[in-house]
Amino acid sequence: MKNLYLPITVDHIARVEGKGGVEIVVGDEGVKEVKLNIIEGPRFFEAITVGKKLDEALAVYPRICSFCSAAHKLTAVEAAEKAIGFTPREEIQALREVLYIGDMIESHALHLYLLVLPDYLGYSNPLKMVNEYKKEIGIALDLKNLGSWMMDELGARAIHQENVVLGGFGKLPDKATLETMKKRLQEALPKAEYTFELFSKLEQYEEVEGPIIHMAVKPRGDVYGIYGDYIKVSDGFEFPVEDYKKHIVEKVVEHSFAKHSFYKGEKPFMVGALPRLVNNAETLYGRAKELYESHRDLLRPTNPFANNLAQALELVYFTERAIDLIDEALAKWPIAPRDRVEVKDGFGVSATEAPRGIVTYALEVKDGRVAYADIITPTAYNFAMMEVHVRMMAEKHYNDDPERLKYLTEMVVRAYDPCISCSVHVARL
Amino acid sequence: MEGKVRIGFYALTSCYGCQLQLAMMDELLQLLPHAEIVCWFMLERDSYEDEPVDIAFIEGSVSTEEEVELVKKIRENAKIVVAVGSCAIHGGVQSWEKDKSLEELWKTVYGDGKVKFEPKMAEPVENYIKVDYRIYGCPPEKKDFLYALGTFLVGSWPEDIDYPVCVECRLKGHPCVLIEKGEPCLGPITRAGCDARCPGFGVACIGCRGAIGYDVAWFDSLARTFKEKGISKEDILQRMKMFNAHNPKLEEMVEKIFQGVEE
Repeated sequence: MKNLYLPITVDHIARVEGKGGVEIVVGDEGVKEVKLNIIEGPRFFEAITVGKKLDEALAVYPRICSFCSAAHKLTAVEAAEKAIGFTPREEIQALREVLYIGDMIESHALHLYLLVLPDYLGYSNPLKMVNEYKKEIGIALDLKNLGSWMMDELGARAIHQENVVLGGFGKLPDKATLETMKKRLQEALPKAEYTFELFSKLEQYEEVEGPIIHMAVKPRGDVYGIYGDYIKVSDGFEFPVEDYKKHIVEKVVEHSFAKHSFYKGEKPFMVGALPRLVNNAETLYGRAKELYESHRDLLRPTNPFANNLAQALELVYFTERAIDLIDEALAKWPIAPRDRVEVKDGFGVSATEAPRGIVTYALEVKDGRVAYADIITPTAYNFAMMEVHVRMMAEKHYNDDPERLKYLTEMVVRAYDPCISCSVHVARL
Repeated sequence: MEGKVRIGFYALTSCYGCQLQLAMMDELLQLLPHAEIVCWFMLERDSYEDEPVDIAFIEGSVSTEEEVELVKKIRENAKIVVAVGSCAIHGGVQSWEKDKSLEELWKTVYGDGKVKFEPKMAEPVENYIKVDYRIYGCPPEKKDFLYALGTFLVGSWPEDIDYPVCVECRLKGHPCVLIEKGEPCLGPITRAGCDARCPGFGVACIGCRGAIGYDVAWFDSLARTFKEKGISKEDILQRMKMFNAHNPKLEEMVEKIFQGVEE
């Protein structure tokens, strides 16, 4: 008689954003099937915003995902501004990037300390770490609070920032607030560096070692950052962001409300902090560049767990970068918050680096309304690759205690920092 | 309440922003000695969806058949059910095109693709179970959580706010984005509690805390102002639907706004 196997499942992966599960089916010959089940309901963001006034659609897009609402807002606004033929002033662009960095700092701190670290320290919940890991929790809260406060000041709120509008901002903080922001960022630098040291000591499981195709936005002005006009692939290929549909295909998969994305027809790929470092490390500067050089052996392009350390490195980098951007803005003080924009017809594509990787918006504007919208989020880009790595982990451990297998595969998923809600949007075919 | 309060935080379909807002509150640490987290997948790996709790916080809209079953189960297990945020209370922004059919939306987005789960049009939690209290907002303000949790913990009951954003905006002394800039600000008819956050930044209110009870004079005065600014009835209806699409009195309410006002 054949052996009977039950699927090993995690119905609801904890400590990620959104609802997804892992299902592993084992047969006589080993692992038969690995699926990331995305059970979060569909939200149809592209379909519901078509025909709506542009400013109202721009208020709705960030609500795709709270963890990267600033990323959604700023990318959607850039796509809309490209569509109507408007380019923001340099100082406005700098301050928008500071807001974006607020999101980056908050999201990375939250992911690393509250979602990832408990696994390594043997806790089911970060709040239980408070007594034994006072320093770590303290740093987590300080960095998270700094990021939230930057978004409060520049975006009106840490989640769903209404202060970013076509042409600039509704209102800008005063000079003294920006100077305080700079001071707080300077004070945060040692905490960011502590985070990097802490994460450089954590295990990266070699079970999932293997070649990965990395994709990231090529930073504008050759300075490591968030905005860009080209997508860079680790195989050496580059393409303008407008051509994203020529090189990336999205497919509906039966076990998920979120689609899967493939490069050149069938190749899974990775986006996120690690791909940014792999593709754009030469554009780093400052302390982050030194840390990158001294820890290259740990920032391995072949291991998804290195994404955690890459995020920690980015905490250092973006903290320094925000200080420079604030200086840039202060040098031009006083700054008018907003330019008059004329909402003309047109089509625009923007791809930026959200905390967890490339987010793409394509918007067509007609008579002041959205005529077409296509959005692909980082997690939707990552799903196919994530499944590959979960499978690799499962193949090495399917004979282990199921609890251990669940724990390890969940850790693989968490290393990607997935936003499941944001992946369930989805795009027009 | 006696002893430790058993709390569950449950997610339906949403952006997870309400949970994130609560998770980001340092004040949460002060609550911990008094509470036991039974279910909160965003932070707790050992989470149980079908255990009894004193307070169940639910965020997100009901958007799959599985979620219908989940909210019923939560109701059975909870003493107090709190709907948190715009999705749980109003269906959320994903309800903006509520009048289009699910099939049409599905086709636009997924084409002929099939998924093994059962989707449905986003709905408020209250369409399926009795809700005892609401924490408004998209996302709610931190003080909303503190107020609700604080009152529950001392055995009292939080009160609803029954005045609009305009009241807070006037108290703060912000310039009026509706009258002075002619923008379609929903402040006059939106439930207060945000300290007029958006108008404070010179941005028109989009009504994320939902509409205030209707039969009040604010709707009439708003009507006159909209009319003077040349904002059409259809545009107001669309704008209000962002966060109020499931409001059964929406059409009537917007009619009322334009009653006696010639377009």
